[in-house]
Amino acid sequence: MRTRLQRFRLNVTPQRVLAVLFLLVLGYLVVVPLGVMLQETFVVHPLERFQIPGSMPGDFTLAHWERTFVSENAYAFFYRPLINTLIISLGLAFLALAIGGTLAWLVVRTDLPFKGLISNAAIIPYVMPSWTLALAWITLFKNERIGGTQGIFTALTGVSTPDWFAYGLFPITITLALHYFPFGFMLIGGALRNIDAQLEESAELLGAGRLTILRRVVVPLVLPAIFSTFLLTFSRGLGTFGTPAFLGGPVREFVLSTTLYANLIGQRPGIGYLVAFVMISLGVLVLYMDHRIIGTRRSFVTISGKGARAGLVALGRWRGPVAALVLTFIFGVIAVPIVALAVDTVMLRPGIYAWSNFSLHYWIGEASRAIGLGTGEPGILRNPQLMGALGNTMQLAITVALICGVLGMLIGYTVVRLRGTLISRLLDQLSFLPYLMPSIALGSIFLAMFAVARGPIPSLYGTFWLLVIACVVSYLPYAVKAGISAMMQVGPELEEAAIMAGASWWTRMRRVLFPVQKATYFSGMLLPFISVTRELSLLILLVTPATQLATTITLRYTDRGWYPYTNAMVLVLVTIVITSTVVSRRLMKTDLAKGLGG
Amino acid sequence: MPLIAIQGVSRVYPGDVRAVWELDLEIPDGSFTTLLGPSGCGKTTTLRMIAGLELPTAGEIRIGDLLAFSLARGRSLAPSKRGLGLVFQSYALWPHLTVAQNITFGLEVQRLGKAEIERRRDEVAAALQIDSLLHRYTSELSGGQQQRVAIARVLVMRPSVLLLDEPLSNLDATLRMDMRAELKRLHAETGSTVIYVTHDQLEALTMSTHIALMNEGELQQFAPPLELYARPGNRFAATFLGNPRINLLEGRSERDRIVCGELTVPLEAPLGVAAGAPVTVGLRAEELRLSAVGAGGQAASADGQAASTDARATAGDGASGDATGRARGTVTSVLPTGSDWYYRVAVGGHDLIVRQNALPDLRLGDEVVVTAAPAPLKAFDADGRSLTGAAGLAPREGRDARAAGVTP
Repeated sequence: MRTRLQRFRLNVTPQRVLAVLFLLVLGYLVVVPLGVMLQETFVVHPLERFQIPGSMPGDFTLAHWERTFVSENAYAFFYRPLINTLIISLGLAFLALAIGGTLAWLVVRTDLPFKGLISNAAIIPYVMPSWTLALAWITLFKNERIGGTQGIFTALTGVSTPDWFAYGLFPITITLALHYFPFGFMLIGGALRNIDAQLEESAELLGAGRLTILRRVVVPLVLPAIFSTFLLTFSRGLGTFGTPAFLGGPVREFVLSTTLYANLIGQRPGIGYLVAFVMISLGVLVLYMDHRIIGTRRSFVTISGKGARAGLVALGRWRGPVAALVLTFIFGVIAVPIVALAVDTVMLRPGIYAWSNFSLHYWIGEASRAIGLGTGEPGILRNPQLMGALGNTMQLAITVALICGVLGMLIGYTVVRLRGTLISRLLDQLSFLPYLMPSIALGSIFLAMFAVARGPIPSLYGTFWLLVIACVVSYLPYAVKAGISAMMQVGPELEEAAIMAGASWWTRMRRVLFPVQKATYFSGMLLPFISVTRELSLLILLVTPATQLATTITLRYTDRGWYPYTNAMVLVLVTIVITSTVVSRRLMKTDLAKGLGG
Repeated sequence: MPLIAIQGVSRVYPGDVRAVWELDLEIPDGSFTTLLGPSGCGKTTTLRMIAGLELPTAGEIRIGDLLAFSLARGRSLAPSKRGLGLVFQSYALWPHLTVAQNITFGLEVQRLGKAEIERRRDEVAAALQIDSLLHRYTSELSGGQQQRVAIARVLVMRPSVLLLDEPLSNLDATLRMDMRAELKRLHAETGSTVIYVTHDQLEALTMSTHIALMNEGELQQFAPPLELYARPGNRFAATFLGNPRINLLEGRSERDRIVCGELTVPLEAPLGVAAGAPVTVGLRAEELRLSAVGAGGQAASADGQAASTDARATAGDGASGDATGRARGTVTSVLPTGSDWYYRVAVGGHDLIVRQNALPDLRLGDEVVVTAAPAPLKAFDADGRSLTGAAGLAPREGRDARAAGVTP
């Protein structure tokens, strides 16, 4: 007994202490809220008292489940949004895969010119807020259904756009695919790059033709990356809120995320939580499939490319046209929405695209009910409310990036040092769990968890810190992934050498382990920073007037049809994320693709 | 006087994997002790337990007057408090620091004065001839230079014991020779104790004052290198040391000889086993001699000495009853190495490797007479234990005795 105690005392190491600590905190922030949320689907909420006859708030009820799944309204309330969601997610996943995969193949395996430019530019659509394209789509193609004005396209051509083209599932799928194809580009591109050239060369020596090699060697090797892309974009499609809200709203076409929002914000929180539960179940299903189908992928993708790059496919006379097409496509995806939004913000009276209508009113104008839309709001750059929200966004983005960076490093350290133990696996998986949770559903579990005080933890609803917690948990998978890969590269000897020199744990972290992998950690921080700056889906349920963010406040302006303000704000956000991506790439040698991937 | 005393130390990993098992070892002060063994034998684990980077699951380690580890007392001294310096196999130089910063890191951690730090840095840099590299980053250095920096980083802390974990394995062959000599010089000059881990027997034999031979987590033998080579304590020790590998011949003991099929080895003293008991004889390649059986029936010694006339006569009979240690065989392979010739010779059922250092006149298929002149004789019983006396510590017996009587 005594020996066991002695052994325990000897085995108390920093990594073990950290592991236990992280397990407790993550358990409380990820696992417990899931249970709380599930519980909420069986409870009568104050607002629901009148919908469920004879009930008191807090009573146990099955009404939410009945209503959602079997009532006569179930189709309109639940099944139709569910089907819409699946259609959009599937369509988006296929499109993103096709576009991203083709681009990746062209850049990695052919003699396409301008590869550097294309690889850098192809990431930008992902960096921009996902609903930038949705707003641009509206600006370009809106018809008289909303706001009475027409889009740029109709103004230029005189052709009125049909509803199915302007709103609903079709544009939602297209714009989301154009936002998420960089996933496919980065994941599949990475896998293609990692294939050892000798594998292809030996196939060639055995007499295999180019197509046979592609079919029998290359595709099977990148198959894991293809599956990852598909499942990842699919689950992103489940949880996205902004795009379906902007493009589906006008034609009252709902998906699960907008249904969840409408119910939670409206009169039926019980049903809202239930929808969130369904979304999370779908996310878990995707994660499960991911493990089942490509459980071995990790050992697959780590094939290190030692040999020289195998001969690139010569595009021959197609080289020029293909390059032109690719560049047009990428810059179209980046520039067209930006230009469309920019044009919209400088047109005083909406829908009239003429020089005489040019005005910077929506940027720097004074508050007035007589000019333009007559909103009584000052231009965004001198609008204290909007600038305050932007300040909140920056504060949140920096806080979250720092916390994620530190946590990612520490959890990565713990997981790698305790590798092979149960606690390491548990920690790895727990921090990975939020990865495939649809963002808006993740937001809703924090709403359920922290809306009221629980034990020693006060109600955090309405505070900045609730937003911080939600963002940190949501982006932790990226940060931990960066931390783990950084630690794996370092190996234990560098730390052990410092131990031998008598450096304390803190000194080791500060003077050895962090500086050695600085670039990786900054990459791990850049992604949360950008993500927070453009986050809408995750936080839309958690903000209050006191904690408005640049993204969430734009939604209020859109609701009133004040698109120029929304669009100007989006342009500010786009400028911030693109600048920070480019600057950090230059200064810190960060690489976004490193933080991504699965 | 032992500087490091290891008593009953084990390291058992989950799943009852015994990396090190009940190790008893006393490393003399000022020695160059090598932990030698095949990969996975527990030598690096032992080194790491001495350093304090890994904790034993049983036992006690003392370093000088310090109780470095004791499970019974629940005590483990921090690695930096043990007065040791460890040079890692990968060198583990910090890539974000310059050579100078790598060297002074430990001194800074100990909060020494700036002047003192610089003095000691320059001193050690001069000793290892890396003073011109101080402002470079370690990634810009060659393998040999990195090695020196790694050693300098350790020596600057003035450790009483220097631990080296396969430090030469990342160097090319020529550099390895130079560094071997340099490490030996370093040991002689500083007079400090060195514990050296390697799987390379040549390194162990050329550099050490003592070798602790390990296999499968257990100590096989602890002895000075040449004694270990001459009097291995068991079959493993006999086979692990020596290049080419020792010839092992299965046979049975008789009163004054061991009969191994065609070949008979005479005994000077009785083995202490029953007559007819199975015995394995170990014959190193250089302990065998070849003489040609010429075309005209004239035998010529490969050593160029005059042929002994009775060689042909006795070997010709192929007599197993002859106690002269001679037998007739056929050359199956000729392998010149430049300075020596290795021959493979089929003698009866045995395939013997013979090393000769003089110009031979033998070809494939030649008939030869093999003469065995083992000095001293190496014979092992059925359990692989030496019957002819082992050099140094043979801990197996010691442990068995303890297991039988002392410990409950």
